[in-house]
Amino acid sequence: MTSTLLAGVRVVELCEVWAGPMAGSILGDLGADVVKVESFPRNSMTRPLATVQPWPGEGPAFERSPIHHLSNRNKRNVALNLRSEGGAEAFRRLLASADVFFEGYSAGTVAKLGFGWEVAREVNPRLVYLSMPGWGAEGPYEGYVTLGSGLDAAAAHTIVRGYPDHPIEDTQPIYHSDATGALAVVFAVLTALRQREQTGQGAYIDMSQIEVLNWHLPALVADWAVNQRLPERLGNADPLIVPHGCYLAAGGEAGDEAWVFIAAEDDHQWGALARAAGHPEWGERGHPWATIPGRLRCREDIDAALAQFARTDTAEEIAARVQAAGAIAAPVTVPWSLLANPQHEARGWLQYVDHRYIGMQVFPGFLWNVIPDGPSWDRPTGLVGEHNAEVLGELGYSESEQADLYAAGAVGDRYGP
Amino acid sequence: MTTTSPDLRPLSGLVVVEVGGTIPVAAATKLFSDYGADVVKVEPSGGASLRRIGPFPGDVPDLESGAFHVALDTGKRSVTLDLDSPSGLEVLTRLAERADLVLLHLPLGEARTVREDLMVLGGAEGGPHVVVLSEHGLDGPFAGRRENGTSLFAWTGRMHQHSLPGEEPLRYAPYLPEMQWGATAAAVSLACVHSTEHGGQRREVEVSAVEALTGNVDTWFLQWEFTGAEMPRASGQSKAAYPAGCYRCADGYVVFASANPPFFNRLCEAIGRPELAEDPRFLTPAEKALHFDDFFEVLDPWLRERTRDEIFTYLQSFGVMVSPMLDPSEVVTDRQAVARGSFVTHELPATRSEGGTTLLAGPPFRLDGAWDVAAAPRLGEHTDEVLRELGYTTTERLALFRAGVTG
Repeated sequence: MTSTLLAGVRVVELCEVWAGPMAGSILGDLGADVVKVESFPRNSMTRPLATVQPWPGEGPAFERSPIHHLSNRNKRNVALNLRSEGGAEAFRRLLASADVFFEGYSAGTVAKLGFGWEVAREVNPRLVYLSMPGWGAEGPYEGYVTLGSGLDAAAAHTIVRGYPDHPIEDTQPIYHSDATGALAVVFAVLTALRQREQTGQGAYIDMSQIEVLNWHLPALVADWAVNQRLPERLGNADPLIVPHGCYLAAGGEAGDEAWVFIAAEDDHQWGALARAAGHPEWGERGHPWATIPGRLRCREDIDAALAQFARTDTAEEIAARVQAAGAIAAPVTVPWSLLANPQHEARGWLQYVDHRYIGMQVFPGFLWNVIPDGPSWDRPTGLVGEHNAEVLGELGYSESEQADLYAAGAVGDRYGP
Repeated sequence: MTTTSPDLRPLSGLVVVEVGGTIPVAAATKLFSDYGADVVKVEPSGGASLRRIGPFPGDVPDLESGAFHVALDTGKRSVTLDLDSPSGLEVLTRLAERADLVLLHLPLGEARTVREDLMVLGGAEGGPHVVVLSEHGLDGPFAGRRENGTSLFAWTGRMHQHSLPGEEPLRYAPYLPEMQWGATAAAVSLACVHSTEHGGQRREVEVSAVEALTGNVDTWFLQWEFTGAEMPRASGQSKAAYPAGCYRCADGYVVFASANPPFFNRLCEAIGRPELAEDPRFLTPAEKALHFDDFFEVLDPWLRERTRDEIFTYLQSFGVMVSPMLDPSEVVTDRQAVARGSFVTHELPATRSEGGTTLLAGPPFRLDGAWDVAAAPRLGEHTDEVLRELGYTTTERLALFRAGVTG
């Protein structure tokens, strides 16, 4: 059953890459009518014109990019040239019809296109308008450009992630702020819609993606603020919990790179882990490892003993055995493990989606389930301009007017020559 | 709340009950609290588990001043309640009857029982939305497995992806997975409220941590699924598509994401070498992968003569994607953070330590007049006040306290 939580809410998305498009998908999952306005004639970053490695299907490369398919479900797609007169007018009508508009460009970009908040509120006084530049809409860094990896570095997350015994240059870029940013957009626009009920007016939301990431990392700043202490790179070690780490297993889904994560956070879990490892005496009174201070003192010996235990079976089996006894363990999954995960299978979490160009593919599922109206994959990733006619029709354009827009290059449905 | 004027924040009037006291459930309800909702935090008499997570001022363990409690319990009310007793469950039920939302994170058996109790309240239409956070979901072969943030993260594929081949897979910062899980629960919870405020019915929601984390971008599953080839795990400094990742400069490191046009071309222009953008060695991905050293020989000395801030400011003026790598002391004094008030000074309770102040992240999104942080509650600070509101008599309140149901 299609989710109806946000039934009747019309959302216009003007975003590229991950954080914004994922927000659009989540709003679509919740039942909003999300119209993605695709850049035209310039193709977006996640829609390359040529493939660098083989992708399934026969159609144009810009319709088959895996990275683009990750975050563009459950929305309609119109491709407008906002720099053209006709495209700008169509966009104005779209904003007039919307409850929510959000854009993911660097600060000032959309205003320069003629669609800043001051203009948009004239078009639609009840519009909730959200901008989500990396460092926010205002301030000395206005206009700066970034991906999630840059925000990760500037929020002090990159410096704590790397291997303790490797040069900092080896620390990989990650894009966690895209995941957190997407969720923040959803909460923010729903908050503003509730405010609109109270005031009758739309609102402007300045959402800085780094400020979103900041609130997800309270301990780093607190340790500096109250103890003047800067973080060290610890790898997987926890200063207060032994054991807490990954151990190489004897194969499994990840083949010869099968690792299993194991932790015991208290004496009870440690006793359980000891039994699972076939050494119940490790947890018995009198054994040097049976107590928390004892384990903190013997970190290296315990790691060595667990490394030996982990090599006796696959990562999945070791984890299952430790879990059955009552401690914490999980195999470190690789991409293909998702398909073999019995929990995903039992819950029907993976989604099988048919797409005009890429055919049937399996996708990671939804972020939650709702009873009685859970999310469903009603629309696969939109083709460029796939819903031009449908949406322009709703905005009052006749077929001949739409043909004029195509002729003028104001709307489109393909990239490249 | 310390304010006496009517609360005009957008979520005011909403009543949210938080049960379980873990990081994810507290993170979820913090967003409600800071934007105006009345959040009642139900804790065991020993205190919510997140109160035990530091850092603590001066490394003195204290249930009132741990970093996560101080940051995530802002503006909430604390009620201590023994949920193992029928009396405690009755109090919770009365609390839930008046609530718009209940968010739960309890061990599987308890979660199922409490959910069932709450879902019968008010009939199909009338009761609160019940949002259950669980590690793997409430059913299936892994339901009820014990996990922590790192083991949950191991299930998502990201731990493998963001590690070096042949080396131990690495987590992110501690508790980041729990925070994302909580933010996920907050988003769907507010959507439920939106629905009932527009004529919809009450809902029962399940937020599985593994699903919430695995399903939200930053994964290369589709790359593998579409092509059958594993996405190569880059080192920090990609030698194939560059510059991307960490580079040394005069006073630390900067992080680039400018491997492709137009960013690569802008970088070449900015460093006074515009011809490199047209150089056949760097024009195609295949050629580029063969000539990392040639480009590094140009970029490295340029970076080493300049500070992070000079590089950041100058290259951003050309539209190059580059960021400084900062530590927490630099994050809070960063020009942009100071200009925007990205962090706010917040009083610590004077309990076992001497009080003083800490810094909390400011609003995650700015909507005029919408956000405020008040102090986190002392353990059980509002038990009596809330029980009075629920209509318990003096005798009943004394009896519940006497029996250890409330604290």
